[in-house]
Amino acid sequence: MISVTPTALADSANKIDLSNLSPEQVALSIDNLNLYYGEKQALQNISMAIPKGQVTAFIGPSGCGKSTLLRCINRMNDLVDICKITGEINLHGENIYGKHVDVAELRRKVGMVFQRPNPFPKSIYENVVYGLRIKGENNRRVLDEAVEKSLKSAALWNEVKDRLHESALGLSGGQQQRLVIARAIAIQPEVLLLDEPTSALDPISTLTIEELINDLKEQFTVVIVTHNMQQAARVSDQTAFMYMGDLIEYADTNTLFTTPAKKKTEDYITGRYG
Amino acid sequence: MDSLNISRHISGQFNEDLERVINLVMQMGGLVEKQLNEALLSVSQADEELAKKVLSNDYQVNNLEVVIDDECTRVIAKRQPAAGDLRLVMAIIKTIADLERIGDEATKIAEVTLQSLSSQHKELLLNLDNLGRRVLECLQLTLDAFTRMDVEAAINIHKMDEKIDREYEAIMRQLMTYMMEDPRSIPQVMTVIWSARALERIGDRCQNVCEYIIYFVKGKVVRHTTKEDMETL
Amino acid sequence: MMKNSNKEQKNMNKWFSSGSPWIWLSAGGVSISLISVLGLLWLIASKGLSYFWPAEIHEFKSIDQHGKHTTVIGEIYDREFIPASQLAHTSIVLDPTQETVERLLVKTGNRELVSLDFRWILVPQIQSTSTPEELAVIERRTNGNFYGYIDSVVLDGKEVEKSKLPELLTRVDNFQEEIDQLQTTDIGAINYQLERLRLKERKYKLDNQLTEARKQELASKTQALKDEYTTLESELMALRDEVARDHIVVRAMDGQKVTINFEHILNITYNNKLGLFEKVGTFLSQIGGFLIDDPREANTEGGVFPAIFGTVLMVLLMTVIVSPFGVVAAIYLHEYAGKNALTKLLRIAVINLAGVPSIVYGVFGLGFFVYMVGGSLDQLFYPETLPSPTFGTPGVMWSAITLAILTLPVVIVSTEEGLARIPSAMRHGSLALGATKAETLWRIILPIASPAIMTGIILAIARAAGEVAPLMLVGVVKMAPNLPLDGNFPFLHLDRKFMHLGFHIYDVGFQSPNVEAARPLVYATALLLVMIIISLNMTAVSIRNRLREKYRMLEH
Repeated sequence: MISVTPTALADSANKIDLSNLSPEQVALSIDNLNLYYGEKQALQNISMAIPKGQVTAFIGPSGCGKSTLLRCINRMNDLVDICKITGEINLHGENIYGKHVDVAELRRKVGMVFQRPNPFPKSIYENVVYGLRIKGENNRRVLDEAVEKSLKSAALWNEVKDRLHESALGLSGGQQQRLVIARAIAIQPEVLLLDEPTSALDPISTLTIEELINDLKEQFTVVIVTHNMQQAARVSDQTAFMYMGDLIEYADTNTLFTTPAKKKTEDYITGRYG
Repeated sequence: MDSLNISRHISGQFNEDLERVINLVMQMGGLVEKQLNEALLSVSQADEELAKKVLSNDYQVNNLEVVIDDECTRVIAKRQPAAGDLRLVMAIIKTIADLERIGDEATKIAEVTLQSLSSQHKELLLNLDNLGRRVLECLQLTLDAFTRMDVEAAINIHKMDEKIDREYEAIMRQLMTYMMEDPRSIPQVMTVIWSARALERIGDRCQNVCEYIIYFVKGKVVRHTTKEDMETL
Repeated sequence: MMKNSNKEQKNMNKWFSSGSPWIWLSAGGVSISLISVLGLLWLIASKGLSYFWPAEIHEFKSIDQHGKHTTVIGEIYDREFIPASQLAHTSIVLDPTQETVERLLVKTGNRELVSLDFRWILVPQIQSTSTPEELAVIERRTNGNFYGYIDSVVLDGKEVEKSKLPELLTRVDNFQEEIDQLQTTDIGAINYQLERLRLKERKYKLDNQLTEARKQELASKTQALKDEYTTLESELMALRDEVARDHIVVRAMDGQKVTINFEHILNITYNNKLGLFEKVGTFLSQIGGFLIDDPREANTEGGVFPAIFGTVLMVLLMTVIVSPFGVVAAIYLHEYAGKNALTKLLRIAVINLAGVPSIVYGVFGLGFFVYMVGGSLDQLFYPETLPSPTFGTPGVMWSAITLAILTLPVVIVSTEEGLARIPSAMRHGSLALGATKAETLWRIILPIASPAIMTGIILAIARAAGEVAPLMLVGVVKMAPNLPLDGNFPFLHLDRKFMHLGFHIYDVGFQSPNVEAARPLVYATALLLVMIIISLNMTAVSIRNRLREKYRMLEH
């Protein structure tokens, strides 16, 4: 019998089956990740696969561990002395918490953008080429090209092309955040982690960044943490809802925001008492 | 109201907004039910006064539809409802459209009363009585299911429509016979057919409302699906 | 009545809660600090600068209690009132109604004629005061000023007109310059080279490498230098003779005629003749002389150039030493050291180090750096000069190092403060781009912390420039024969002792044979020291402000 069940148009576009991803579709897989801050367990048995070339959003109330999980992906949690991690995060089938992993190298593959724009007190140009200079690239032509390409990708080129050598601190908040994104993509990472990238910005800048995120997923796998549910709904393909260190629900965004499977998710996204 | 689970929002304002909308829908449902009831009464008792009252009261139904539509738009703009809330608002918007149409159908039935029918033909109208009662019951049940957001009831009502359809078909056959026997009666019989048709449509609209109830509660679209699919709910 | 007082009470409360009392209090505090700073500057500036102003020369004729007439010529230095009773036991006759007697302190100069170049004159005994225009002040290389009337000018034994005087003075000045040049630069260089040759020979001898060939080579070099020395010496002698050719005869206050050779004369002024502009001119040239001349007469006359030079050089050296050490220590404490009890202890130790009295650092510097480190250095690298020490004796390097240790806590604390203030977003931003911790430190953290580091350095400079006590133990001397920086290789002589303005003040003010005469000089030197510290600070502050502007964080 032919099913006549209608299929939503949005679903058909880049719908992938999260529960059954082929290895080529996976950018990162997190397996049984536990994280402890001293005695306190901040993440409990997180397992999920983040698909390649898509935007995955982590949502959840404050302190649910979504930022912590994000920071695990490029090992920024290493900076916290009392932080202990068990489980695996696999990038290209290699555990990033393995013994022989060069953390700096990992962070070049997994870039990160933070909550508040944090441009260095240098010129716009120097900000963008910072990662390349660290890598040892000093060829002027290569750097120039990288600056233009990254700033264009970050939708900032037209605004700053005439003042590349002025201080980055003279830019507006939204421009600074896009500069920081340009800085992160200048070293061509595979995965881009965005930790509440618009929480310090005005609504218009926020929209610009969201638009940018949509463009970025053509080149990078994007993982975004956000407090703003509407934002997650707007920009992401997959959404993971976390609560008290647990991954409650992980589904494609359309499903999660219209018909969530778990009551906790429903309560959270409709703004009810948990 | 608690079956709708709307009083647990952190934003009390949101709760109030949704409650107000739902109350308006209840009010509208009550009004539509009253209209249909009176229309049917006017037909069976040939009460022209009542029929006129039904016609003049239809504007109230229309007004309520506009008001609820407005309220829903406002809720979407201000609250950006998600998941259940979103489905509720969507269901309400669609439900009121159907309720409004039911109201229209009721006026159509009332109009029949006002047409000067010969006593012979008035007998024909008696045939409608049965169908009318059944449809009225269906509407009452639907509104009741809506109030409680009762999926079980909705599914049952959905099935009830079949009976209405069958009865409608029976009436149609009977009226056809009339027309074949006495072609002069065709204009009068057509009037009766229109009202039978209106009652059948009301049944369909009740079915729609039941589908919205299922959509709201289950998050599944059951429109235009086979019965088997609905059974699997 | 009751109501009224209640109302007053209410008003009072209102006034208190409005906060105005605190504003007044703090404004008062600020005013007091401002007044005291300005007052201090005004005091030392007025007392110090008046030293350079050409004073009027008075001629006092007085008669003492024994009826003896005396004439006193000189500058009024000070005036004071003393109680008449203090003079009662002397035979001075006074008006019995007077309770106090005014007396003047007069600088009379002419040290070779009178035992004291200052004397008190009781005003009641003065019969007449005049300021004759012909009175000349003769500034001399030795024995201080001479006050008197120029009687005659003798050119090569023949008396000439007094109008020739300026011309002759210029001539002598030129010769003196040549002599200075010869003495300090040329002959000094030869002496220095001779000394090095001698040391070289000694070194060879100690190393048992003194071959005959070397001996001869050294001997011939020495001979060449000695020959050169002899020529220079004869040139010098000739110049000296030239200078000593002429002399003037001056009549002093007691009528005695004194011959003063030109070789001793620096300058002759007729203070009473000078107009305002000429006075200003003299004033400025006196200040200039104070800044660029060497001291004379046990530091009580002349300029303070070596002291200025020594102070600035020592402070700069100290800065060069303390900055990297302080910054590195702060980086270690803040970035690398574990956050444990040991680090806390270290930090407390560093902070407490700032409270150790400076003289203790002096003792430490003397005992550790000079004797231990310096002594070992001498044995290792300069055995040829022993037993006379090279680095095993106080010197400018040890002073700089001692003060560097003294100011280290300041630099460490403010650098750490600066490091702590850097938002962690900066670090994270850099680390997230694949930079290592060291790269982040070097490329991001240090530049941003540089204003704080500069603040530390500013404080260090301010502290070090004013420090005298420890320096007395580790390198400062009353009179240094050479500057630590000169034209002889290796140009910067870190082993040399040096002069310091702070010590100069102490020395001139309290150790000189003529404390009275030196008092204005103390103020002038103090003013100069303050000026130098202010200018060093301002330089550092302006550098810091430039850096701050560059690394200004947006309002995060």
